[in-house]
Amino acid sequence: MVPFLQEMKSRLGSNDDFFIQRVFLLDKPVVIMGLSTLIDVVNTKSALLEYIEQSFPSGKTVEEVIKAMSTTPHIEINEAISAITKGKLIIYFEVTKQRVIVDPIMKLLNRSIESPTNENVFQGSMSSFTEDIDTNIGIARKEFNSRRLVVKSYYTGSLQKKRLSLLYDEERVDRKLVNQVIDRIENNQDKEINHIQNLTKVMGFNSMELIPKFNTTELPQEAANSIRKGRVVLFIDRIPFALVLPSLLWDMFALENDKNLPKPIMISLRLLRVVGVLATLIMPGLYVALVSVNPEVLRIELALSIAQSRDGVPYPALIEIIMMLVVLELVIEASIRLPRSIGPTITMVGGIILGQAVVAAQLVSNLLIIILAATTIANSTVVGVQNSLSIRLFKYLIVVLASIYGVLGILGGMVLVSAYLAGLTTFGVSYLYINPAERRRDS
Amino acid sequence: MNKSLHVLIMYILVHLGFIFFMYPGDIISSSEEGHWIPILIGCIVHLLVIWTYMKGMSYFPDRNIIQIYSEAGRIASVVFLGPVALYSVMVSIITIRAYSEVISIVFLSNTPLWSMMFFMLLISTYVASKGGEAIFRTGILIAVLFLPVVVFIFFSSFQNVDWRYVFPMSTKDFSFFAKRSFYESFFAFAGGFLFLGFVQPLFKYKSKHVLICAVFFIPFFLFSVYVPLLTFGQATASTFHFPYIVTMDSVHLNWLMFDRLTMFFLLSLVTFILLFVGLVLWMTVSISKRFIPIFKSYQLAALVIVIYSVCLIIPEWEIVQNLFWWNSILRFYVLIAVPISILIFGLRSKGKGARERA
Repeated sequence: MVPFLQEMKSRLGSNDDFFIQRVFLLDKPVVIMGLSTLIDVVNTKSALLEYIEQSFPSGKTVEEVIKAMSTTPHIEINEAISAITKGKLIIYFEVTKQRVIVDPIMKLLNRSIESPTNENVFQGSMSSFTEDIDTNIGIARKEFNSRRLVVKSYYTGSLQKKRLSLLYDEERVDRKLVNQVIDRIENNQDKEINHIQNLTKVMGFNSMELIPKFNTTELPQEAANSIRKGRVVLFIDRIPFALVLPSLLWDMFALENDKNLPKPIMISLRLLRVVGVLATLIMPGLYVALVSVNPEVLRIELALSIAQSRDGVPYPALIEIIMMLVVLELVIEASIRLPRSIGPTITMVGGIILGQAVVAAQLVSNLLIIILAATTIANSTVVGVQNSLSIRLFKYLIVVLASIYGVLGILGGMVLVSAYLAGLTTFGVSYLYINPAERRRDS
Repeated sequence: MNKSLHVLIMYILVHLGFIFFMYPGDIISSSEEGHWIPILIGCIVHLLVIWTYMKGMSYFPDRNIIQIYSEAGRIASVVFLGPVALYSVMVSIITIRAYSEVISIVFLSNTPLWSMMFFMLLISTYVASKGGEAIFRTGILIAVLFLPVVVFIFFSSFQNVDWRYVFPMSTKDFSFFAKRSFYESFFAFAGGFLFLGFVQPLFKYKSKHVLICAVFFIPFFLFSVYVPLLTFGQATASTFHFPYIVTMDSVHLNWLMFDRLTMFFLLSLVTFILLFVGLVLWMTVSISKRFIPIFKSYQLAALVIVIYSVCLIIPEWEIVQNLFWWNSILRFYVLIAVPISILIFGLRSKGKGARERA
């Protein structure tokens, strides 16, 4: 046998899904090879034959026709192998010993475009990104169909080649930002990118930051809006959301979809989200501060009724609230983990514990349950789950400070959080900018 | 985005943080009647000072005062930056010590002073460690969060006002010029203006905006003194340490679930002060980094430890007030010498530039 075929067989032959077949294209013997799990072999063969028969009358030979189909004229063995693992078909001409890479008919291994699962949309377009990067880029192009949209792709990783695509608006984007991102990717092309933490490392961000440097979104219209505003959108193959760089504080409160509503309603909705974040941060702390450190701030009637509701609770407010907050976090985490059919159980059991039993047993006060419920609801008003997670953590800082310094602790904690947020920058763009495109016009 | 906004907000926050505590007491004890005269004199001096200062700075675009003085020579930097740094350290010590005392008097009587000072310094240090730009941005966030609270409570403090106490308006008694407390009242003006010399390379701002803002700010100075006066009258108001805070305590809003608005007012102002101390620490460390080129990353920590230790050594309020008084010399030096010297250097460099061009 010929050395190329032999080499391919010895390198890939241990895979059961590797096929190597001899077929005749208009009496010319050729060998086709690929992975049967990625390629629809039967359809590919018939399409190939049909294509060659159709182009035969033009007087070209089979080899010429096939070469016209492929992008690379002559390939090395390593290239051939990586092409096969990507799902391409290799055609090998036995006579001339030439080989070409051809795009086959792939097996459908992607889910179709569905409605978003992590972010709900209210009166807006319902498609969401999927795992397939080409589909995602396609959706993005549909949302922002302009010649100014630039798509740049890179393959990174040494063990496996992962595709990474960069989308931006040629005119509005901050060139410095794009260049920095591209530099980072090109300098780290040997690094594997399997998840966002990998990408964070590639981008050279501090991996211990609480606030993600990428704003993630499943919604094509949000991604397209970010591009329109001069931000950079990153897609990674097999990650079903867009990563928007730089992430901004305002992303927590504003959805592009809000603009489908009348302006006053949009403003009040966004204000509501701001109130939600503030309530999440302050309410648990305020409870601890008012109950254990500064009860004199309250009206005497209110202070008495709070004291009455805590009557019989055997531990300080800090322990009480931390305990209940942890239970609540457990409920949230459990309801994510469980299959949908068992999920309602958690709601029910959790509802019983958090609702009545724990108060009846005098383990916590009535008021605390109200505070907890309000906090949890408020926390969910934030746009993007990843943002609500960071806010959830900040809450504990403020609770602890409030238990030591009372109301001063809450406000001090707020200053700390503000300073933390103010100190965050992504490639020189502050986290607090509302519209980074304005910054460039300024400078 | 208007970069003046960062500077304006910082200006407002810093001055708001100062005027409601010592300032009313100082003015009320300095004069028996016609309090608006000492207040306006203070404000005019303040406007003149910041005008001179910003005029001088405008000759050096993209430069802060450290760079200006360093270019003017070694002697200039020692003569001017030295006192500025020393003054900043003193201001940090006095504010941290004084404000923790105030907080402890008003509502955290069980918390030991050392832990309160530790907490306040900790926050300020964290703010300072984030660097200049972040400090100004923090200012914006804090303004969004707390300024509405402060303004709302400020207006609600007019609840018990009796406007007849405004009279007598005129006075022939100018004895306040001889009073110690009148000069102490300049603390409210002298602390906050220096930062205008440090923003230049980070943010560009229009000095006109700052001046307009300062003019619009004068009513706050006036009312911080007049609200207690109009509520209690001169005779009673002069007996209080912090007249404005006492006035706040007398406010009662029926529909609010909180009994003591003072606490929220006071604490919002304390957050402004924390920000201010952070700013001052950052300024001081920028100066010290310029002159002590070693251990740059530890200088902030060292400075804070020194400040904290001094705060711990001060045993009682009397000594704070003495410090306050001793600091007056430095205060007036900074208030007068720094803006004028910057203006002179500015005019000189302009003259030099014109000569070179000719």
